Amino acid sequence: MSASTLPVQRPHRSHARGNDIGQPIMTAAQSEDSRPRDVEELCEQFTVVCESAVDALEISSALEFEGWSDQAVRKRYGVSDVFALADEMYRRVPRRPAEPEPLPDPWQVSKVRPALHGLLYGLPTVCFPAAAGLLAGPGVLSVLIVVLLTSWAMSQALAYLGYLRLGQADSVQAARLLRAGLAAGLLALALALAAAALVLPVRAPAVVFGMGLGAYMLGASVLMVLGAERLLLVVLAPGVLGAAMFLVLGRPPRLEHAAWGALAATPLLALGLAVARASRDAGRPRLGFGLGRGRHARTGLAPGQLLVAAELRGALPSAGFGLLAAGLLVFPVTTGTPGHAVANTGALLASLPLALSMGAAEWMLIWFRRRTQRLLRTTRELRTFATRARLALLAALLQYLAATLLLTAGVIVVAARTRLVHPHWAAAPQVAAYVALGGAMFLALLLQAFGSRIFPLVACAATLAFEVAYRGLGVSGQFVACTELLLVLLGYAALALGSAMRHAC
Amino acid sequence: MTEGTYPYGFGGVSVWCDQLIRGMPGYDFHLVCLVATQAEPVVWSLPDNVISMVKVPLWGTPPTGAAARRRGGLPLRLLRQLIETLLDSSADAQGRFGCALRELFEYSSRYGNLSAGLASDRAVRLLSEAWRERWAGSEQPAPTMHDAVTAMQLLDHCLRPLSYAPVRADIGHAVTNGLGLLPALTAKWQHGMPVLVTEHGVYLREQYLQNRRSPYRWPVKALYLGFMRHLCAVGYREAETITPGNVYNRRWEERLGADPSRIRTVYNGVDPANFPALTGEPEVPTISWVGRVDPIKDVETLLRAFCLVHREMPEARLRLFGSPPKGREPYLQRCRALATDLGIGEVATFEGRVENIRDAYDAGAIVVLSSVSEGFPYSLIEAMTCGRTCVATDVGGVTEAVGDTGLVVPPRSPVLMARACLTLLRDAGLRQRLGAAARARALEHFTVDEAINTFDEIYSFLGSGHPVPTAYVEPGADDQSGDKLPWETAG
Repeated sequence: MSASTLPVQRPHRSHARGNDIGQPIMTAAQSEDSRPRDVEELCEQFTVVCESAVDALEISSALEFEGWSDQAVRKRYGVSDVFALADEMYRRVPRRPAEPEPLPDPWQVSKVRPALHGLLYGLPTVCFPAAAGLLAGPGVLSVLIVVLLTSWAMSQALAYLGYLRLGQADSVQAARLLRAGLAAGLLALALALAAAALVLPVRAPAVVFGMGLGAYMLGASVLMVLGAERLLLVVLAPGVLGAAMFLVLGRPPRLEHAAWGALAATPLLALGLAVARASRDAGRPRLGFGLGRGRHARTGLAPGQLLVAAELRGALPSAGFGLLAAGLLVFPVTTGTPGHAVANTGALLASLPLALSMGAAEWMLIWFRRRTQRLLRTTRELRTFATRARLALLAALLQYLAATLLLTAGVIVVAARTRLVHPHWAAAPQVAAYVALGGAMFLALLLQAFGSRIFPLVACAATLAFEVAYRGLGVSGQFVACTELLLVLLGYAALALGSAMRHAC
Repeated sequence: MTEGTYPYGFGGVSVWCDQLIRGMPGYDFHLVCLVATQAEPVVWSLPDNVISMVKVPLWGTPPTGAAARRRGGLPLRLLRQLIETLLDSSADAQGRFGCALRELFEYSSRYGNLSAGLASDRAVRLLSEAWRERWAGSEQPAPTMHDAVTAMQLLDHCLRPLSYAPVRADIGHAVTNGLGLLPALTAKWQHGMPVLVTEHGVYLREQYLQNRRSPYRWPVKALYLGFMRHLCAVGYREAETITPGNVYNRRWEERLGADPSRIRTVYNGVDPANFPALTGEPEVPTISWVGRVDPIKDVETLLRAFCLVHREMPEARLRLFGSPPKGREPYLQRCRALATDLGIGEVATFEGRVENIRDAYDAGAIVVLSSVSEGFPYSLIEAMTCGRTCVATDVGGVTEAVGDTGLVVPPRSPVLMARACLTLLRDAGLRQRLGAAARARALEHFTVDEAINTFDEIYSFLGSGHPVPTAYVEPGADDQSGDKLPWETAG
């Protein structure tokens, strides 16, 4: 038998970079004759290895991996051993390391998704005017505040835990946790509402509406964490379309009950789809971790256990932030005069443009991350990096603020055209205060994304405390508090995000 | 001390650990296991003489939560010394690296974990300054901030073991050099515990191979491998005794500065009771292969070789036993596709895992090993103990194991492998003679009792503070002499 009878034995060269650990760089050892005759030829065959070698030992390991032993190199090249041959090759071939293949950009996400998120936060606002009939009577505002505080806190904590599990590459446990969390959230909401109904003179329809609003928020959070934004559009369709139609038709009283029915469909759909989706994911057969006897492979959970105490503690800052953000958003509304145009405008601005702007916030966060990742790869000095990262931070904030102003202006124009509100220049300070609050929320989210969770929490708590203590100051107090929060968070973020280590991921 | 193996993984090293601990019921064992995170499941049932187990995760949150809170943090001088020695490959720098390592450990045992100091902007600044000095006027790609951050993070994770309290024992036995030796070093520094290093493969060599497809840019790769090279050298220097799993590994150990008088080869062994001599052979001439379906086992060369065998001997069969490790399933697909392309899809069969490994050896008239890298493969000495002769590639300790009881061929050489297989398949008398010789050789040198007795002896010497005798004739040593290549003498 000779080599010429072989079908697939042509010696060939390929580049080490494209190789798996076990694949030959070349097939020198396949037959004695195809082995390089001298060291020069051998260097040529190992060019890629030699050019990117950090030392001669790296070449030794590659030579051995290709089947060269001390005896073989002694016989062929007359050197004492593989190490001596590698030394020689390291000397002959100059270093010219190839750049590693760029890793996939983890922040390469669609631009539609953040915008969709903004829409999903904002759209439910349309339902409020349509539900005016349900929201008559005393104490309604208090009910809505209770709902907002409870559901924001719960959904922030739920999202934190869900993403934590997904980050551990465990979609099954994530789905189970979210399903259980949804039930816990609903229970908390019901208890909070029951307590509110006991101490406040509220009517049942308002409580039911509050429950529906909270249920929607919790269900929507679960669907969002599970990546089912499209389903959320289905959830919102009946409520939003029904409410919009009702408003466009000029709120005819005979259609009021039909509109309420459409509104009720949205939270019911949100809950139903969230449970269905989570159950589907939770029921998936476990892939990988085939060895997972007893404790779970990645999370160290005992069978049947949903989360450990430390993880629950980790969710507290998120819950606290949700609570404070809701507080900062709605507290000023309670100090306004009911029925007054200024307060109405404020209430509208509190919910719609800011909710919509969260899409812009998400988008700018990704923009900032990609920008700083690029900076890390192009700068060579810490000081240069820090300066440019701070400039990028400022740019991200300004872009967010510009987007929020545009959204606010757009909402005011639409609201004025549909005669829902009668805008007045007197509302300008409150608009400015809310835009500042939006900027502060953006910075708080940014800091949280970079692992700084306590400072934003403390700053928000201090601001809310200030607003409560000086509620007599009205809008000017709110303006001062929000602007101060924005500046404090900006200063802190500039300090923290100038660190190169913080951007490592 | 283990790293990523026993009791969390399967494979040769874990089998060896289990054998050793069970074989020495007179000793108590404290396990210190380097793991990736806290969450890997234990896959071996631990023997009764394992009296404690500490997990040292390299990733996840740093140990004991609280970072070192000394005023000013990790001293700049120490950070600078660490970075400077890593950029210097001289033997002198190796010594200074060892001192820096010890100081880091002492700092950490006094003030808390090192993470805050290593993964810090201060360290990043020092590294980028040191790099800039070295890169001035160079044409190579200059390091970026990203490189500096990545490098310091890697160092932080690698040095996590220094932040754990050292274990208290009479002897520290590390079953790997490199990171796995760090817990033994800290115990030596703190309590004066003697250190024994067993290497099945060469740790540093494996690091080089793993980083060939490194996702890091050259400066990071150079720093990381520089760290590993210094660390392994320190390990060899600090160890009282080094027990490589084969003579072949000694070359690397001595190259990195290990004192030859402290090296003693201890071969892996199998329990002969589990592998009695096989009687009879399969009816059709069959080649058996046993192992993980992994690129390092070079199944492709085996398939190509078998294609040639099949052409000469159409009735021949190839049976492959074993499954791919997690993540290597595409390689199995590639091998299957290759078998089909070569027209041997029907006669070369992938049979997956077998319940009793002995059946796999029983299935073939000869056993083939086609790996491109091995330490001292169990499959080979198991087959030998069963009385099967082998065709094996000349890698690691294979020639020492096989000796003159089988045929050794160069790796990645289908022609020579096919020729050796045909030689054996065509000559029943030769097969029988070599098979009997293989069993005799295995029973003499490669039994688990032999290995355990050797370690018992080494433990006694180390425990009593006496130097371990290493001057004795190693069974594989004679195979390494002379200029003749193994496949020339054997073929």
